[in-house]
Amino acid sequence: MIQFHLERSGVPAYLQLVQQVRQAIRLGMLRPGDQLPTVKEVVGTLTINPNTVLHAYRQLDLEGLIEGRRGVGTFVAAGAAPPPSDERKELRSALQRWLTRARAAGLDDDAIAMLFSDTLRPPAVSRVA
Amino acid sequence: MTAAIRTERLGKRYGSTWALRDCTLEVPAGSVTALVGPNGAGKTTLLQLAIGLIRPTAGEVRVLDCAPRADAAALLPRVGFVAQDHPLHRSFSVAEMLKLGRCLNPTWDEEAARARLARLGIPLDRKVGKLSGGQQAQVALTLALAKCPELLILDEPVASLDPLARREFMNTVMEVVSETQLTVVLSSHIVADLERVCDHLVILSQARTLVAAPIDEVLAGHRLLTGPRADVTAVARFHEVIRESHTERQTSLLVHANGQVYDACWEVHEVDLEEIVLAYLGYGAPLELREAVAS
Amino acid sequence: MIWVSWREQRTETLIAVGILAVVALLLVPTGIEMARAYDHDGIAACLGAQPSFGCGDAVRSFQDRFNQISNLLGWLTLLPGIVGVLLAAPFIAQFESGAYRLDWTQSITRRRWIAGKLGLSLGVAVLISVAFIALVTWWRTPLVHLNGRMESSVFDSEGIVAVGYTLFALAVALAVGVVWRRAVAALIVAFMAYFAVRLFVDVWLRQRLTPPLSATWPARKDELAVLRHAWVISERPSDRFGNAVVLRIGDCPDGNLKACFAAHAPGYIHAVYEPASRFWAMQLVEFGLFAGIAVALIAFSAWWIDRRA
Repeated sequence: MIQFHLERSGVPAYLQLVQQVRQAIRLGMLRPGDQLPTVKEVVGTLTINPNTVLHAYRQLDLEGLIEGRRGVGTFVAAGAAPPPSDERKELRSALQRWLTRARAAGLDDDAIAMLFSDTLRPPAVSRVA
Repeated sequence: MTAAIRTERLGKRYGSTWALRDCTLEVPAGSVTALVGPNGAGKTTLLQLAIGLIRPTAGEVRVLDCAPRADAAALLPRVGFVAQDHPLHRSFSVAEMLKLGRCLNPTWDEEAARARLARLGIPLDRKVGKLSGGQQAQVALTLALAKCPELLILDEPVASLDPLARREFMNTVMEVVSETQLTVVLSSHIVADLERVCDHLVILSQARTLVAAPIDEVLAGHRLLTGPRADVTAVARFHEVIRESHTERQTSLLVHANGQVYDACWEVHEVDLEEIVLAYLGYGAPLELREAVAS
Repeated sequence: MIWVSWREQRTETLIAVGILAVVALLLVPTGIEMARAYDHDGIAACLGAQPSFGCGDAVRSFQDRFNQISNLLGWLTLLPGIVGVLLAAPFIAQFESGAYRLDWTQSITRRRWIAGKLGLSLGVAVLISVAFIALVTWWRTPLVHLNGRMESSVFDSEGIVAVGYTLFALAVALAVGVVWRRAVAALIVAFMAYFAVRLFVDVWLRQRLTPPLSATWPARKDELAVLRHAWVISERPSDRFGNAVVLRIGDCPDGNLKACFAAHAPGYIHAVYEPASRFWAMQLVEFGLFAGIAVALIAFSAWWIDRRA
């Protein structure tokens, strides 16, 4: 069973839960047919509003990653896990090569991370705390 | 009925001072609503008017479509209330407190109450006065929940509790909300904890209502604009400026954005709930603006 | 609601009962002793039509033996005040501590809560004061046979007035406490008010509530029959019509004052008194006064709580 956690990042709580489920499926920690914690259980662990959990589960349902079975619970959907593809392996090696180049150019881990996140999400909107 | 609590220009005056003034808001059914504001803002007054402990000087309040004083016999069994500093009879044992609830309420779930207290490790034969603050708060909450209410009103429930007790208290509330259609209204002057637990926000200050909206809307509708020192009139024409502050070189504005902010001069940031509330309450603003907000 | 009312005033009720128990413990032994002496020494017979020769001495020694304790019992007149004020305490304390907010947000209406708690307090007050009267009346029976019960310090623990006193003290404490909401201060003020009012009634008002009778009789003669066991408010030398006689200084040097009166002028005695036959009438009047004020104050307190908060 997946263990949820919340961070004080700029990301809304429900989205953090969605991302954690997505990540768990991607990494194989959650497999099709595995049961997700009930709303009450998540609320008991995290002390959050049940609507947040419902919102997250609804989102995951829309994405086809999970399905609810009446009276039984919420489960990871059958076609959820992306199969390991050659494309992925390609991307991974390309990334490895890029990292070697970046390190050779003198970037440390933080600079690499910043460069990556700036490119992934343009800086116009950033959370202020 | 979509509003658990509905007020219409509600006001309460003590002598010549208005503790609450011209308050019009709705608490949606099924929501967990945070009522925030500094001490003396009127939070306790509003909640006491809702439960019928005091009577309005002006305006009207309706709770679950009932009048709190006139329909008290019909309304009280449906509303759980925990007053500020969770009053209990200090010399009673926990079991006797449950008996009090059983005697004074027509609907009463004794087993659920005992189960909850057992889960929390609170002994039934201990005198209430000998319990810790957190345990007393839990007993008061158990009493309010055991009558199976539709609405739960909590007045500063965690103000005097340590972080662990605070977490446990809110945990109990959230678990009940997840099991039933309970509407919760809780007042607090600590904003930090509220964002994860509440989905609706009301800000009171100086006896007036400044904000009453879903939290998602509040977060989506407010932005922090920063940029080089500039005049704000252009922005103020489109968006409501809640707080402005200037240094020699920089201006920052917290605005209630009327749609997207397209002005290229400004860098736009999202703001978290605590900053928004503080801005409304006048923190960090020049004195004139604070007074303008207050009046 | 009955259980809740009882549990919320349990401590104070038990203290009040405890005080009564302590008083009983002190009175019962001497009471039994006095009753035994009364029979044994034949005092009863002495009060009949044909008193025997040794009666005067017997009665005198009996009185000497027990009068001191009887005088101490005068202090018991404070007990109704203490009990009444004590029984109001839990009610006021709830307002001072804010615990009333818990009771009022259960499902019971404010009126039922007030009625339940007040009803029980009043009931307990009546029970304890009746027990108190029974105890003291029993103790005093022999002395009442001898001296009657119209005397000030005896009157107020016989009959039913003490019930009125207790209710009055309770009501004053309630009225002060619900307005002021400070338990200890309210109780002290209430007790002082009780004391002041009691003093006023005892010393001034009681004799004016039921206008007393007067009688004039020749000093030579024995005291009139009506004056037996009566409350004699004043007694002075007078003329045949009852007007006061003023003796000048030096008229009566030491010696037999009675003979001096008889020798001097008109030689009558004029007394203002309440006869023993008026005992119950006066009891009811005084009870009505105190109970009436109590009812008014309680109604005020109930109204204040219901309307004000």
